[in-house]
Amino acid sequence: MEHYPEELRTPPVTLACIIGHQDLHATISTHLHSEQPPINTLALPDFSKISVIDRTPKDKEDQLPSAYTSTGIIKRDWLLKHRTRVPAVVAALFDVDQLSGDPVQWQQVCTDLENLKAVIRGRNIKLVVVVVVRFNSKESITEERMVALRKRAEVDAKYVITFIPDDASELNLSLNRLGNIFGELAVTFYRDEGRKVKTRLEKKSYGSIEFNVRYCFKVAIYAEFRRDWAEALRMYEDGYHALREMIGTSTRLPAIQRLVEIKMVAEQFHFKISTLLLHGGKVLEAIKWFRQHNASYKKLTGPTQVNFLHWEWLSRQFLVFAELLETTSATISSPILTVADRTSSDWEFRPAYYYQLAAQFLKEKKKCVESAVSTTSTETDESCDSIVPSLYVGQFARLLDLGETSVMQLITDDDYVLFALTAERKKLGDSTEIIALLKNAYEAYNNSKSQRTASFCMLLMAKEYFLTSDYTNSKLHFDKLTSLYRQEGWVTLLWEVLGYLRECSRKLGSAQDFISYSLEMAALPISSISGLQELKDCGPGGSPSLKQVENIHKEVFAIVREEIVNEEEVMGGMKVNVDHPLHLEIDLVSPLRVALLTSVAFHEQIVKPHAPTLITLSLLSQLPSLVEIDQLEIQFNQSECNFIIVNAQRRESSSLSNIHPDRRVETVPVIQLSTNKWLRLTYDIKSVNSGKLECTYVIARMGPHFSICCGAESPANMNDLPLWKFEERFEASPTKDPAIAFSGMKVTQVEEPDPQVDLKLGSAGPALVGENFLLPVTLTSKGHSVESGELKINLVDTRGVGLLSPREAEHSSSSDNLHVELLGVSCGPTQDNNDNIRKIQQSFGLVSVPFLNVGDSWSCNLEIQWHHPKPIMLYVSLGYSPSSGAPKVHIHKSLQIEGKTPVVISHRLMLPFRRDPLLLSRLKRSPESGQTASLPVNETSILVVNATNCTEVPLRLLSMSISEDDVTSVNKSKTTCTIQSGIDNDPTLLVPGEEFKKVFTVKPELNVSKLHLGSVCLRWRRDHESSKEVVTKQSLPDVNLEFPPLIITLECPPHGVLGEPFTYFARIRNQTKLLQEVKFSLSDSQSFVLSGPHNDTTFVLPLSEYILSYKLVPLSSGSLQLPRVTITSVRYSAGFQPTTAASTIFIFPSKPQFQLSEPEKKSNPADQVPQQIPA
Amino acid sequence: MIVCIAVVGHQNNPLYIQSFTEADDALKLHHIVHCSLDVVDERVNNPKKSGPMLNETFLGLLYPTENYKVYGYLTNTKVKFILVTTDLDVRDADVRNFFRRFHSAYLDAVSNPFHVPGKKITSKTFAERVTNIVKSVSFHTTG
Repeated sequence: MEHYPEELRTPPVTLACIIGHQDLHATISTHLHSEQPPINTLALPDFSKISVIDRTPKDKEDQLPSAYTSTGIIKRDWLLKHRTRVPAVVAALFDVDQLSGDPVQWQQVCTDLENLKAVIRGRNIKLVVVVVVRFNSKESITEERMVALRKRAEVDAKYVITFIPDDASELNLSLNRLGNIFGELAVTFYRDEGRKVKTRLEKKSYGSIEFNVRYCFKVAIYAEFRRDWAEALRMYEDGYHALREMIGTSTRLPAIQRLVEIKMVAEQFHFKISTLLLHGGKVLEAIKWFRQHNASYKKLTGPTQVNFLHWEWLSRQFLVFAELLETTSATISSPILTVADRTSSDWEFRPAYYYQLAAQFLKEKKKCVESAVSTTSTETDESCDSIVPSLYVGQFARLLDLGETSVMQLITDDDYVLFALTAERKKLGDSTEIIALLKNAYEAYNNSKSQRTASFCMLLMAKEYFLTSDYTNSKLHFDKLTSLYRQEGWVTLLWEVLGYLRECSRKLGSAQDFISYSLEMAALPISSISGLQELKDCGPGGSPSLKQVENIHKEVFAIVREEIVNEEEVMGGMKVNVDHPLHLEIDLVSPLRVALLTSVAFHEQIVKPHAPTLITLSLLSQLPSLVEIDQLEIQFNQSECNFIIVNAQRRESSSLSNIHPDRRVETVPVIQLSTNKWLRLTYDIKSVNSGKLECTYVIARMGPHFSICCGAESPANMNDLPLWKFEERFEASPTKDPAIAFSGMKVTQVEEPDPQVDLKLGSAGPALVGENFLLPVTLTSKGHSVESGELKINLVDTRGVGLLSPREAEHSSSSDNLHVELLGVSCGPTQDNNDNIRKIQQSFGLVSVPFLNVGDSWSCNLEIQWHHPKPIMLYVSLGYSPSSGAPKVHIHKSLQIEGKTPVVISHRLMLPFRRDPLLLSRLKRSPESGQTASLPVNETSILVVNATNCTEVPLRLLSMSISEDDVTSVNKSKTTCTIQSGIDNDPTLLVPGEEFKKVFTVKPELNVSKLHLGSVCLRWRRDHESSKEVVTKQSLPDVNLEFPPLIITLECPPHGVLGEPFTYFARIRNQTKLLQEVKFSLSDSQSFVLSGPHNDTTFVLPLSEYILSYKLVPLSSGSLQLPRVTITSVRYSAGFQPTTAASTIFIFPSKPQFQLSEPEKKSNPADQVPQQIPA
Repeated sequence: MIVCIAVVGHQNNPLYIQSFTEADDALKLHHIVHCSLDVVDERVNNPKKSGPMLNETFLGLLYPTENYKVYGYLTNTKVKFILVTTDLDVRDADVRNFFRRFHSAYLDAVSNPFHVPGKKITSKTFAERVTNIVKSVSFHTTG
């Protein structure tokens, strides 16, 4: 848009003129400019300067031949004149002093007014008279003077106003008044002017079509002054159409100049229309208009020698439209296309599109200029210097200098062409401009994420740089393009770009780039595209064809093999030699993978150290011809494994001299790569160190000073070749063995050397809960000495749950949660405690192992304690170095150990024989319910404790006792009960499954509701001498204590003799302080004759005893049932019947002969209970 | 006149591209086809803008260049067909019709058991068939 003069670019602004009273001009101008709409002010200091707004002298026009005068379309300075020199309104400012008083001054005022009127009359400019009055002398001007002044000025009364500058509010009022009047008069002026011209248009009273166009322009401009945009647009369109008609009809000027003028004018019209449309928000219309504009003028190229002017013009149309669109698109949201608008693509709404086309046409222009320049003579005609733009838009004339004055002369088309060409020759900045346009387009496209079109602009830019021999920039831009084309597989486009890049590198003398690009080009999949059709115009790379790629291939290898020495000009000075060695690197993402792809696969994923394994090296090239490699160097991360493969035929050229003498060298008859065919080489390789062995690089040397370093790839995760992956080609696998091709890796794991130390975990069967289980661990060195050995011990739950890692164990404060605990490690006598690491935690241990020579052994015992029966896994691992500094070797051993309960302890509470206290709590519940047992107070009860060996080993039972728990120690002073046990005997051997019983008597002495019996304490050990004693404790459940109200005791002799009478008592003891009613009855027995009460109800006195006594004579012998007595307490509704065992007596047929040494023992039945009853 | 027809794969890679001009501007046509992929991308990614076109294979006019019009077609397998013509006044229906015929030719070509999907179409029969379709189609509807 900068091509256009300022007045055309901005909308016209009303111009007003103020004369006189210079001190007020700044105030008034500022105010008018801030009016809405603004008014520009032309300030003249006094009336002598009014000639400025007078009609311009026609001297310039006079310079032209008379025939010329009427032939322009639009005068170049007409708009400027109306914007800067022809005001719509003139305000004459007079001081009140000039009006009142001095007649000389009044006379002067009248003269000034007359002069002014004379000047403005011709132009119909509106006049306003302003009288400047001081605030304090407001009234000094008389009405009469004002009328006189109005009459002089010949204006309406309302156009004579007063202006009070020295009071703020009055000044504001005055300024507003002035502004309103100016605005009003300006509108009138422009409307009148417009109407005047329009009338001429409507009457068609114009001489030629040029006037039609000119009038349209003028009316439109006047309308714009009034801000009547619709009218302006209409008139511009009319003018534009009229102008278009002129092309075929007008014969006024020589053909070329005529076309140039019409296009220039059309351009201005078009600019105005586009601006109005776009600012009015009618983007769609603007675009349609532009399309139409483009369509109607595009073909009007004019004669060939000047068609560059056309292209320049066309380019400018697009550029200007792009700029307009860009400035307005920020304010206008992008339009929504309706279905009907499908013919216009959304791209037409983007400035980028127009920038791109502008560049394209400018390029066309450049081409035309070049051809035009080449056809015309290069001599510059100085006569062209005198050609200048003439009075009319788009016209040029020769300015003849005639001494004092100068005259404009028409020029011929030939002159004009020469003039235009000369101007072009001087300019020579098209390329810069093209690049700038393309850059604009590129950025705009990039912003709208249209990367491909952006890339295309980039390509054009790069080509333009190339044409201007700016190879650095060109290469930079071309380089950016390659990745997109590579990625999307556009071989043809890539070919073109690479061709340019190759050429740029050649020009810049970069051998490395030249060879890289050449190799990539040569390895492109050309066959499929060259088969279809010949592509021309592919830049310096030539047309993509098999022949061409072969040429490129040959050229590259001629350079790297240094075969051409003399023909430097052919290679453009590309050299690879001693001074310029070349080393290319190909990594996983390099585009040169197509030129050389290396895949390396170990045949085994895990190898033993020093054991040979096979490695397959596969090379693939897509280069069109055979590639011969002199030498291949295979590098590993363990450099001891590196080796070199030498091509026997090229032995002399491969620089073997600088190879390390220890390096392994393999020779093969020939290393040749043919297109798309894997070259497979398999070698065996021995690893030295354990750990990872990875093939890192394969370096291919071709020629004495050229090498390619390829990053080795694993066949298992090798990416497809870019570009070639879209080709239909035979894809062989890199290795013969498909399994290796599928899963082969360039990395193998070298194992640790086999440990030559025995680690033995001695197992002693299942562990028993509570004991310190000792597990011997033995290390025996067989072939390695053990240095800085470390033994790691880990206890893990077999099911994986409850696994306590060392960390967790630190946090768990109570060892109750632990089922199994590692207590410690007791080492053998060789142990030196001081410098050993030792770290024992509940489930984890770390013990250092002293130095062991070959053949030595060392052992330690792990102490593990089970708190609960639970199987665990024990992991023991030994890490050691066979020699100092050597990598560690590890041995792992594991063992599952069961933890078992050694003995099961149970107990039973019994009442004494034939003595039954009435326990009320037993009445209430069913006897089977497993509630807490009850014991009568002050009565002796019997406690039987059983211990059963449930292990598979014999245990020696050392003692069994009942101990009070520590918890009850507070109550220890008051004895709640006495527990007596039988005599302790010697340790008893308990074979698996055997049961041990011990009887205790319990006599609760204190009337408490609950009795704590304490816990059974069993001391035992495994049945061999070395094992330690273990104490197993099991607490007995609490029992309830009850006071029995009645106690029934049955008394009868232990045995009877047939026919001999004996007495049988049933004593009912009332322990309460109440009278107890008791019913009793006796059932008869066949075996006895008896005397005594049969059944009755009786009362037992408080705290006394009632005795039922019977005399019995046994009638038969054997174990007989005594007559059963049934006693019922009425108060407690409790019945009693003795158990069968209690009412059984053995009757001897005759008096037996006993040898009793201690007859009193018999009398105490409690003591008669055997202390050990084998099950 | 149709000057270029292209089949473009999933990675925006050309699967088949043939131009039918005598002039040496085949490469330019390749560029045009490549650039028009931007528009296809845009249409596919912003279906809102081209509302009624949802689920339609025919993408319509893609890209106005100075001398060409570019039309697009997207198959259900997201393979793109791009047509470049020099006829500036073309009825959509004709283009649709052309694409339909071209699509069936493409289907036959990729149904070849020896064709690997995603690779370039090298079938000579397909090329001949395309040439025939192109020759038989004329967009001179408005004269």
